[in-house]
Amino acid sequence: MKRRFLLRRAAAAIAAAAFPLVPVWSGAAIAKRREHRVEIGDFEFSPAALEVSVGDTIIWVNHDITPHTATATDGSWDTGELANGAEARIAVTANTGSDYFCAFHPVMKALLAISKSATH
Amino acid sequence: MKQKLLFAVSLLALAMQVTPSPAQSPADLNDLQIAHVAYVADNIDIRYAHLALAISSNPAIHEFARTMIRDHTAVNEQALELLKKLEAKPQDNFLSKQLSENSVKLVDEMSQLRGAAFDRRYAENELAYHKAVNDLVGNTFIPNIENAEVKALFEAGLKIFKVHEHHAEMMVKAVSN
Repeated sequence: MKRRFLLRRAAAAIAAAAFPLVPVWSGAAIAKRREHRVEIGDFEFSPAALEVSVGDTIIWVNHDITPHTATATDGSWDTGELANGAEARIAVTANTGSDYFCAFHPVMKALLAISKSATH
Repeated sequence: MKQKLLFAVSLLALAMQVTPSPAQSPADLNDLQIAHVAYVADNIDIRYAHLALAISSNPAIHEFARTMIRDHTAVNEQALELLKKLEAKPQDNFLSKQLSENSVKLVDEMSQLRGAAFDRRYAENELAYHKAVNDLVGNTFIPNIENAEVKALFEAGLKIFKVHEHHAEMMVKAVSN
């Protein structure tokens, strides 16, 4: 009986050492990455102003007949040519430029409101 | 309505050096003839764009010309797909023939020019051409097209060409400075 008790205690001690428990509700901030969609249609980016955070991903989808791009004004990122129906993804980093336009149709402009914090 | 139509044709005539014949009116064209006029008009602008890429060294002109090639090619591909779906063939007509004949003269004229003179002529022609075509498409073709899908394509095309018109305005200002 005593021996069984001691064996159980030893097993518990080994388990605790091998698998330390950390409560998931520790109160520490958890980064949550989001995906956002920008629809390109009738020569407009929609939404024209998009709130994003570092770590998020933005997906541009072209619904127009003509090809478009989404190109940062400061040159920091570019989706490349998007044909009708095509989409492209850009990951938001601390260096992602906020203003962008269509390199083929400069009248098309939009912006990203980038939050530097990745927490929500 | 007839006065407005004659005005639209005159505008296009001015841009394309087309002499409107009183016996033939764009309003009398059927859907397949209208589709062919649009196809020819697209190809004419593509031809002008290739000429600009060959002659001009201005980056603004090159950007515009490349956009014209991309966009007009995309519209033509949609038009051809639609005609295939409708099992129809476009029909040549007085207007598409006149546009073609006169574009040859304009290409000949522009190809003699160089430098800033070419850039200005190309930019001004693009603005005048798009204004005239947009007026004809918006005020004559679209109201007269009977097939709903053909009409929808022309409506989408008109949005594209209005953006081109605005872009051409910017280009004219850029090469005039």
